[in-house]
Amino acid sequence: MTLRIDRRHFLMGGTALIAGASAGIRPVLSQEQRLRLTFWGGQDRADRTYAVADMFAAESGTQIDGEFLAWNDYWTKLGTQVAGGNAPNIIQMDYRFIVEYATRNAILPLDDYVGGVLQLSDFDEDQLEGGKVDGQLFGISLGANSVAMLVNEDAFAEVGIEPPNRDSTFDDYMTMGEAFNSANIRGGMKVLADGSWTEPMLDNWLRQNGFALYTAEGQLGFGEEQMVEWFRMWASLREAGICVSPEDQALDTGPLESTMVTLGKAATMPSNSNQLVAYQAINPDSLTIVSYPRIAPGAGGGHYRKPSMFFSVGGNPEQAEAAAEFISFFVNDQEAAEALGVERGIPCSAAVREALAPSLDEKGRIALEFVANLGDLLGPLPPPPPTAAGEIDLSLLRVIGQEVAFGARTPEDGGKAFVTEASAILSRSA
Amino acid sequence: MTAHSMDAGAPAKGRAVTSPRIWERIWQQDGPGYLFLLPWLIGFFGLTIGPMITSLYLSFTDFDLLTSPDWVGIDNYTRMFTADQKFAAAMRVTFFFVIFSVPLKLAFALGVAMLLNRGLRGLPLYRAIFYLPSLLGTSVAIAILWRQLFAGDGLVNQFLANFGIDGPSWISNPRYSLWTIIILAIWQFGSPMIIFLAGLRQIPQDMYEAASLDGASKWRQFWKITLPLLTPVVFFNAIVQTIEAFKSFTPAFVISGGTGQPINSTLFYTLYLYQEAFGFFRMGYASALAWFLLAMIAAFTAFSFLTSKYWVHYDD
Repeated sequence: MTLRIDRRHFLMGGTALIAGASAGIRPVLSQEQRLRLTFWGGQDRADRTYAVADMFAAESGTQIDGEFLAWNDYWTKLGTQVAGGNAPNIIQMDYRFIVEYATRNAILPLDDYVGGVLQLSDFDEDQLEGGKVDGQLFGISLGANSVAMLVNEDAFAEVGIEPPNRDSTFDDYMTMGEAFNSANIRGGMKVLADGSWTEPMLDNWLRQNGFALYTAEGQLGFGEEQMVEWFRMWASLREAGICVSPEDQALDTGPLESTMVTLGKAATMPSNSNQLVAYQAINPDSLTIVSYPRIAPGAGGGHYRKPSMFFSVGGNPEQAEAAAEFISFFVNDQEAAEALGVERGIPCSAAVREALAPSLDEKGRIALEFVANLGDLLGPLPPPPPTAAGEIDLSLLRVIGQEVAFGARTPEDGGKAFVTEASAILSRSA
Repeated sequence: MTAHSMDAGAPAKGRAVTSPRIWERIWQQDGPGYLFLLPWLIGFFGLTIGPMITSLYLSFTDFDLLTSPDWVGIDNYTRMFTADQKFAAAMRVTFFFVIFSVPLKLAFALGVAMLLNRGLRGLPLYRAIFYLPSLLGTSVAIAILWRQLFAGDGLVNQFLANFGIDGPSWISNPRYSLWTIIILAIWQFGSPMIIFLAGLRQIPQDMYEAASLDGASKWRQFWKITLPLLTPVVFFNAIVQTIEAFKSFTPAFVISGGTGQPINSTLFYTLYLYQEAFGFFRMGYASALAWFLLAMIAAFTAFSFLTSKYWVHYDD
């Protein structure tokens, strides 16, 4: 967590305030507007965001005080701030939570500003749609992304085999894993992280099989049979030493730094297309992204383009217009777009996308092309998950997935328990 | 302060007429005292008692942070005991932690205190060094350090490798993860050690001299003199450390990234409470959990006090 106002600035600001008040230059001060901005992410994202905040301040005179946290801590703090009537003006929002925050009036509808301070004329229609709740616009997409496997290219070069491509299947990973095991590089690096309790990976696998994680009514979109098969598939990958041991996988507690690729335990792991930029910033090896493994040659439809994150407006309604103005600057200004790159996903404005393409570095271009060329891998955008989805992910998928991985449950038992308990949680929260 | 006001207030009972003057006197006598106490009083009522009462109320509601609370009666408490497997898991982890960490920590602290009690040179230095972990122990930095030490390729395993032992990844294996946190707790033996050290100094030397003359071994002296005379200190330390252990949060939170993983092996009661409150926004349920924790600690402490007369030896 980093607050941007350090003590010296605070003191200077305070002194200036007193000096200003005593000198009677109030009008200047009252014009200066301050907005609070909060987002999740790492240092790289923060640097880019603050650069744009400074540009906006120079242009409009509105100061942006930013604060950022890791994903888990972010929602904790945001919930507390909103409950305490102390919500920030600009809130980075996720597809998973936008319905909850919108229906509880914790964020404001932005329809009134569209066409005025909020310019969205050449915005992608599907990205605008993703930010709507009950027909009202509550979030402005900051970029499109898709799930993707993060691939350590250097590791594959060391083993001497081709890295996975868009047609690779789970069986292909099996073969690559054997090559990794016989090459035994870097103290036994595996080809694959253990994705058995990674929700997006389960989601993708279910969609390829013609199921869904959740239905539009907020129920489970699959049955025991699929869950048992899922756990069995991972059990066989684990037994053959294709994916990392559960002991290693459990070291991953969320931050980018504790993931299997960054720790050098696995050469590939489930991730998101926009995260390539952030991972490359903390990894010495050359990384790339590729689609999730297919369940069989020709199977597709598992991926979808989703708004990677939104900006929503909260806090004091009187400052909402200024906040909308900042968001408009953030998604439309060319210079801002260059500072932001594709770190939050592919920009949604066609003009911005075009102008940005030549200035992107290699990794940025990979991410841009990945999302643009999903082709047959692409399926429809699923409905927003039910509110209990977070709990099912953390308390159930993670726990039962680990129980199966460590051998405390059989895949059969785990699959049954997951479906029974997930249904119970869903019916309790409905 | 209460002694004063009661002295002054007692005669007022019979003679209501004089009460204004009595109040004036109380004010003159105690007013400045209360004024000096004011910052603390504001904090106590505003930041401790107030939130506690609010949380008691919330424990009977379905408060979710974003919408206003609705009264649900004792639903939260019923769910806790009848329909919540995670609660049961959290209770198991917490009791395991309390039952193993407290006695081991106290034994270790007593052991070190006895070593230090032999009149070493540079005792203050050693005391400070051994006390240091207590100061650092609950910090986030130490929990992160612990993660590094006990990870698969951490220092502990590098050390074990010298003896040909291929250690597991201690923190991420459900069989050992809780033990790494217990070891972290034991390592923070400093504050009970200091108290033991003070207690040991109180034991009259002539008892040991007499016992040696009678031919009692060191071992026997420990069991017959040191330990019985030290029981009030043991009692005090046991209560303080038990309460601390029940409340333990930071190490599990940092080491498991707030998840209680692997499986639910480090899902401490407080961590579960935190998840319910800030992860799933079930403030009502979390408040109920918090009040049950308070009741549990109170019951434990009361039980210790009740049994203390059978084993705590007071000198008088």
